[in-house]
Amino acid sequence: MDAPDKNSSLLAGQTAHPTTESAVASAAAPELIGLVTHEDVDRARDRWEVARARWKGRSKKFGGFRLLWLLVGPGVLVFLGENDAPSMLSYSADGSRYGVGFFIPFVILTFIMGFIVQEMTVRLGAVTHRGHAELIFDRFGKFWGFFSMGDLIFGNFLTLVTEFIGVRAGLGFFGVRPAIAVGGALVIVVAAITTGRYWTWERITLSLAIFNGLFIPAAILARPDWHAVGHAMLTWMPFPGGSRYEILLLILATIGATVTPWMLFFQQSAVVDKGMQPRDINAGRFDTLLGAVLATVFAIAAILATVPLFHHGINAANFQYAQFAEALEPLIGHTGAALFALGIFEAGIVAAIAISTSSAYAFGEVMQTGHSLNRPLREAWPFYLTLFGSACAAAALVLIPRFPLEFVVLTVNVIAVLAMPPALAFLLLLVNDPEVMGEHVNGFWANVAGVTVTVLLIIAGLGFGLATVFPKWLGG
Amino acid sequence: MVRSKAAWCSGGTKLDSHYADVPKSRSALAPLDVPRDVPVDVSADVKSEQLSLRDPRAVLSLLEADQVVAAKRRTHFGRQHLSFGTKALLWGLRIYVVAMLVIVLISVYQAIHAAR
Repeated sequence: MDAPDKNSSLLAGQTAHPTTESAVASAAAPELIGLVTHEDVDRARDRWEVARARWKGRSKKFGGFRLLWLLVGPGVLVFLGENDAPSMLSYSADGSRYGVGFFIPFVILTFIMGFIVQEMTVRLGAVTHRGHAELIFDRFGKFWGFFSMGDLIFGNFLTLVTEFIGVRAGLGFFGVRPAIAVGGALVIVVAAITTGRYWTWERITLSLAIFNGLFIPAAILARPDWHAVGHAMLTWMPFPGGSRYEILLLILATIGATVTPWMLFFQQSAVVDKGMQPRDINAGRFDTLLGAVLATVFAIAAILATVPLFHHGINAANFQYAQFAEALEPLIGHTGAALFALGIFEAGIVAAIAISTSSAYAFGEVMQTGHSLNRPLREAWPFYLTLFGSACAAAALVLIPRFPLEFVVLTVNVIAVLAMPPALAFLLLLVNDPEVMGEHVNGFWANVAGVTVTVLLIIAGLGFGLATVFPKWLGG
Repeated sequence: MVRSKAAWCSGGTKLDSHYADVPKSRSALAPLDVPRDVPVDVSADVKSEQLSLRDPRAVLSLLEADQVVAAKRRTHFGRQHLSFGTKALLWGLRIYVVAMLVIVLISVYQAIHAAR
């Protein structure tokens, strides 16, 4: 048994950052030039850290804090990324137009739906080591693959535009000029991706995403009626009154603020890029649950922060982003309004990073070019060009005078909901495919939950369609 | 024939006949002058504070076989046979999305028109 000695000689005493070049230059590996890449080396380094943490925490429940710290990321990012500018606008609209009531528990329900579907992407990514787009193309062919990609790219681009509107509006509250706000946001997106390392990118984006919590102090400054909050959580009452069409539209927008196609593609690709393996699935579930809980709390905080507008009878029907902060200023003070505006800015910037990365992952998977944040720019320039190009194009649109931004904001969450059922169908087919998932195939209850979410989304979409075509039917 | 995931996900080293053009095991990815019968298992070294990834065998031993970029490039899952019911479902959902997008456009036009 001389293997351990050989291992020791392989692993001891090296402090230099390993690269493909150094691996290839070693005497042992002249023939591995085309086999072990920079991406493999970086991923192996992450796996080694995970292996060490797992070994050190082997006596602790869940493997200890260090292991969770290493494996947390994609789930938190996807949910805090989805608490984006149009989503926070939807929650703000819920609070300002209907106060504390139905929408508080409804938001919790939507995040439960989100957790159910996102957990499936964790398993898919950890088991197959393939991105969502790649799997759809492999298993269902180009015909269905391009349909799926079309939905994703179209939805992602519209959403990206709204993120930059959020950035512009959030900083606009502080008097920052649109070009400077949008340009600064682009610099942050570029700074995050130029690290050439998934781990660093993930930690930078996570540190930005945690500022989604700015809505909590804003909500506290709004002095919410906690008794009413508790009553709403238990009874789902009071149910919103007024136009049923508008309520249906807000319900749809609120669902679209939580469950969208880009989340499926992003989290699966991020799980793959992070190098997660089947043994990490439970940690991935924890990560996803943590993200869902944090996002739920922050979303409810956004609702509560805007409830004073409802109590003061301020019509927020056509409010956009910064207008909420401006309207809130006399009610919750300058600090609260500033926190709200900063929260909108943060929501936009984090989502811009996550959504442009989601598009780039999918593009790279479909075109079969390098698609990893562990790859240096020269090895995966189409990936980085897609990422940066989509962000630039969206940012440029926001700066065009008289561009119909209102059109984009109105449609983005609704389109997300309408495009979700086909995406969920592909997801459910994949996680029920034993040749893909092996022992990690969906169980009965996971299927019941997944199908229920899909049916609910279809019903919500059909309800919206009927209400639009026959407005008098719902009193619209 | 697509790969049987269950066959290798526990050990993470086996690839079946679907991967005919890929080395059959992780050790097979190593160069000829590296002894193939000597597994590189870094699990014993997790206690150490430093790691050298200069030896590709150390890299490969930390990753599952199909996590290696070279293996992923060469292999793809095969096409799934879609039953009539599955095709009908996918077409139904596709028609649903197109119809709903038309309705969204109508709705937005109405909203913007009403606002002006």
